Amino acid sequence: MRVRRLLGAACAFAGVLPFAAAAQDIKVGFPMILSGPGALSGEPALRGAEMLVEEVNAAGGVLNGRKLRLIARDTKGAADEAVRVAREMILKDEVNFLVGTFTSAEGPAVSPIAKENQIVFIAPVTKTDQLTAPDKLHPYVFRTASTTTIEGRSAAELAAKLPNVKRVATMTQDYAYGQDTAKAFLDHLKKLRPDIEVVDQQWPKLGEADYTPFINAQMAKKPDAVFSSLWGGHFVTFAKQAKPLGYFDAIKNNFIGAGEAGAIETAKAMGSDYPAGIWANSYDISNWESGPQSHKDYIARLRKFTKDENPSSWPITGYVAMQALVAGIKKANSIDSDKVAKALLDITFDAPTGQITLRGKDHNANRGQFWGLMVMDPKYPFAVMAEANYLEPTKFMD
Amino acid sequence: MTHRIPWILIVFLAALCVPWLGSRFYTFLATDIAILALFAMSLNLLLGYTGLVSFGHAAYFGIGAYTCAILMQTAGVPFVFSFAAAGLVAGFFALVFGVFCVRLTKIYFAMLTLAFAQITWAICFKWNDVTGGEQGFSGVPLPDLSLMAAIPGLGGFRPPERFYFVVLALVALSFVVLRRIVESPFGRMLTVIRENPERAEFIGLHVRRYELAAFVLAGLFAGLAGALFGIFNRGVFPDLLYWTKSAEVLIMTLLGGMGSFWGPAVGALVLTLLNQQITAYTQYWPLVLGSVLIVLLFVFPGGIVGALSAAARRLRRA
Repeated sequence: MRVRRLLGAACAFAGVLPFAAAAQDIKVGFPMILSGPGALSGEPALRGAEMLVEEVNAAGGVLNGRKLRLIARDTKGAADEAVRVAREMILKDEVNFLVGTFTSAEGPAVSPIAKENQIVFIAPVTKTDQLTAPDKLHPYVFRTASTTTIEGRSAAELAAKLPNVKRVATMTQDYAYGQDTAKAFLDHLKKLRPDIEVVDQQWPKLGEADYTPFINAQMAKKPDAVFSSLWGGHFVTFAKQAKPLGYFDAIKNNFIGAGEAGAIETAKAMGSDYPAGIWANSYDISNWESGPQSHKDYIARLRKFTKDENPSSWPITGYVAMQALVAGIKKANSIDSDKVAKALLDITFDAPTGQITLRGKDHNANRGQFWGLMVMDPKYPFAVMAEANYLEPTKFMD
Repeated sequence: MTHRIPWILIVFLAALCVPWLGSRFYTFLATDIAILALFAMSLNLLLGYTGLVSFGHAAYFGIGAYTCAILMQTAGVPFVFSFAAAGLVAGFFALVFGVFCVRLTKIYFAMLTLAFAQITWAICFKWNDVTGGEQGFSGVPLPDLSLMAAIPGLGGFRPPERFYFVVLALVALSFVVLRRIVESPFGRMLTVIRENPERAEFIGLHVRRYELAAFVLAGLFAGLAGALFGIFNRGVFPDLLYWTKSAEVLIMTLLGGMGSFWGPAVGALVLTLLNQQITAYTQYWPLVLGSVLIVLLFVFPGGIVGALSAAARRLRRA
């Protein structure tokens, strides 16, 4: 056993050697889902981070020519594996910073590891409010992702403006993310429109294969509008079953799909089956006509970098998180995590979608998402967001 | 045992040296391996000694992890009591589930263990108020080991290294107890049941009761391993109870060799190192890991330890 351990140690040591040679590089550990179904989102998020690293390095790096180097590791979508690779990157690869994690279990799991190793950790995707809840917050954790609060409240802002809506229902999964978004949505909606009545709440389980009973039960309550946070493939399954039952027609397409139901990946997966006419959100869109030039340039660069004419909506998550880190390093003029952590408080930087600020009081970014009406556009073989609206969340963040 | 080499002591002393190797990473890896070794050893009490295939062993690992974490974090109970409670609670659940499971045999037994494990997982996943739901519990504190500062030679170590010593001592102690169990008349009876349950019944053994006892003991030790893992991992998550975790520990046991006492520990060591090395180099790790496992299982049907001891026997004869 001892011999084997020594062998393992020798292997591990051999793995460290090449890194030691390039001590000048600033190493950023990037734990991310890179295998299994989650890789569909995790992989592009990593591509976004890679693109930023390439851009920064091409422009001469940071701190007088120090290059950034990304060390990506697969978390397998499991919190304990995320903890394992995060520690390994800190202890073995000696990364200077951590940017990454995906699910709402991974982010809060890695946060204490960053705290005890005193390393800045920026979460690009994790939305759960738990990550930066007052009892969990520490100087080294930051988030450039949206939050469940922002997402639910953005949807409520949207719902409040829908004409002729008096009876509202929810269709959210029965676990933390679904519960938190539904609560944020309803609480905010009641504030905006006290006259609205909540007539039904359906709680399908995560990974439900047959939504028919939930769909029928909800239609029986005759809601005028529905809020959903079914994400990724779950939304695809749901919508494919709901459409033939006349669900979307019954609510006159007053369906508000959070959980990135408007993401290009989802639209591509559904093609002409997409329930056009509903409202949905996405982290990014490639056809933001009214957007700033910075976003158009970003999309152009992303098209080139990914060699994809209709690039994924996820790269922006990794890109913006890395932007925040670079801004922090530049402001601190150091790669010392304590200094960078201080510099990141209330820092403002130019993201492709406009200025983003990491708030000092809760380390969250005012990161909004795109919300818009999903329509079939003859220019594309899939549904796209028309008149997309980037909802700036500052005014309804706590 | 043909030759009385105190292997537990030797391995324990060798493992004790790891923190002096100089890298915190090795200590961290060794802690992981020691805990998983105990987890795999606990399964082998069922798999290798009693001949019961459990597909849901992660349930007890997870129950132990949650019990210890909740007690330490929410209730502020000291580590010693939380650790003991983790074993007892896991053992209790193993008793409750085991009563039903041992009524069935072979694949039906396996499926029922899986069913109970998935139920436990679902409860942990949903019961937000107690288990933290999908996000689990993060920030489980390290036990207060300031007492260790008084021990000469250990005072200079950081808390994770001190915790490693604690883990090592507890795991070694568990190994001693497990060894005692399998070598006791009770352990021998389990082997009889594995070899021929009908015959065991005929000579007057209450087979179900023995199987239940083995199930409870296996659950108890899995719970202890889980308690250590939750602290080591600084958090407990529903993933720890999911069937993939049960499969992982089953693979460890098969890989190392369920026919020998040390097999599962060697399997834990090899699988952890393989996983760490392969995932460091490629994201296509399932392909590489799968291929390695297929080769290992075909070339060493008795597991790594089985193959090694067969080779040793052949050498001795030659």
